[in-house]
Amino acid sequence: MTEPLEVGDIAPATASGTWAELGGLAEQLLGVVQSVDGVIAVYPAQPLWQSIAGAALSVVTGDAPALITLTDDDELLAVKTRIAVGTSRPAPAVAREVAEAVRRHLLPRPAAVDVSVVKVGA
Amino acid sequence: MTGSPAAQHQLDLVPDALLAGRAADGDTAAFEALARRHGPLMRATARRLTGSLADADDVVQETLVQAWKQLESLRDPAAVKGWLLRIVGSRSIDHLRKRRNHADLGDVENTVDATSPPKNKDPETNAVNSSRIEALKAALAKLPEEQRRCWVLKEFNDQSYEEIALTLNISPASVRGRLARARITLARTMEEWR
Amino acid sequence: MNTTSDTLECGHSLAELSAYLDTGQIADPVHLETCPECQAGLASLRHLSELGRELLSSDVADAGSGTDDWMQSILDNLRLELRPGRSIPLQSGNPNDTLWETEGSISALIRSVADALPGTAAGKCRLHGDVATPGAGITVDVEIAVVYGHPMEERAATLRQELAETLALHTELTIQAINITVTDVLEPPKPASPADPTTPADATTPADPMTKEQP
Repeated sequence: MTEPLEVGDIAPATASGTWAELGGLAEQLLGVVQSVDGVIAVYPAQPLWQSIAGAALSVVTGDAPALITLTDDDELLAVKTRIAVGTSRPAPAVAREVAEAVRRHLLPRPAAVDVSVVKVGA
Repeated sequence: MTGSPAAQHQLDLVPDALLAGRAADGDTAAFEALARRHGPLMRATARRLTGSLADADDVVQETLVQAWKQLESLRDPAAVKGWLLRIVGSRSIDHLRKRRNHADLGDVENTVDATSPPKNKDPETNAVNSSRIEALKAALAKLPEEQRRCWVLKEFNDQSYEEIALTLNISPASVRGRLARARITLARTMEEWR
Repeated sequence: MNTTSDTLECGHSLAELSAYLDTGQIADPVHLETCPECQAGLASLRHLSELGRELLSSDVADAGSGTDDWMQSILDNLRLELRPGRSIPLQSGNPNDTLWETEGSISALIRSVADALPGTAAGKCRLHGDVATPGAGITVDVEIAVVYGHPMEERAATLRQELAETLALHTELTIQAINITVTDVLEPPKPASPADPTTPADATTPADPMTKEQP
């Protein structure tokens, strides 16, 4: 299964119940990312223009774009996030710390974390 | 994108058509100059349509994203202002629908001007004049929503009946009727007020 | 408009007059010219249109200038979304992780450093070289405008130094050279004039390069 899961997704009733689990997890991970020193903002993991392209859909759902996406391919849980960092700490160090914090939170489950720094400075 | 003061400074003198052409070629500085030039009008329109300044800023941002993506489809670069305003119109209406669906916040028009900034920094401004404007705002806020939308799209955006019809997904005849009713109500209110 | 019905005593409706206002077309133009009822109705609608234009001006004035913070923040978001540029890899602590900085985030950082210097404003900014390969030599080209009266050579030297430090701190790029070109000399800022949205030349007040928004 390689369905992207979004924060706040309503979990469909699946046999495994994984969707519901991952939905809650994405929300937890958002908190984990935000609490890393130097992170000043978390942006929708999917770029805005893609969400706009799907505006017709969001008109119906009214959902805000997901800040962290999770994709579960059964072996690795892929986590994707885009962040802005301040200038008080080196940006690469903050990015590494974000990845480590996410990984630590998910233990013992193996994860592949993708962190993009899309803004440096206020 | 180079949105630096230096770039702005030069581009401020360049006419719309040229900026739109350059922006369609991928010149982001030209696009930003257009955004700055027409931003206040876009924001004012979106605010009157959505009823809140925060929503207006969301609408302006979404409008600019859509405009950037679709610039190539703009046949007449000189008409970029009207084109941007049409996008503002449809995105504002989308915004209202989205909000309506998401959470029932009640009548949007009741929130009109809740975030109104201080009026008329110009001390010379005629008090009578500004209170007439306030009266019009109040009358506008009391209109049925569809009528108000038609009126704003006509008077602020200068859209044709056909364009308004497309934006609101109603027939041009309905636009004509709603606009007339809006004007009659507003004109009467303003006459009484005068 | 002293009638309480939508139909005037002459038999014509206010709706017809409203449409006439927009299209210039009406079934009986001769009647319109001579009918005092219709003329009064039309005058009232025109008066309303006039008020509508005043409301628009007032709303546009309230909306602020296109050079204000609200627009700046929208444009910052757009840059982030529309021009992320190339992805610059960062070393990660785990082989399963992929860490990146976007080229756009680095360009914006460079611009903010240039903008923060007194009397200078950033123009174009480019990273040349293979940013996707760790260790590859990168050249930075920055164009700046300097306000008339500020020492250009000194500004350029200071900027070069500050950029070197900032890039060493916030990127893992191997910077080989930082080329700074002064492309413009700006007039010292003048007092802002009121913006008029309808005439392009006046629509945006040129930003004051001396006013820094950076902390």
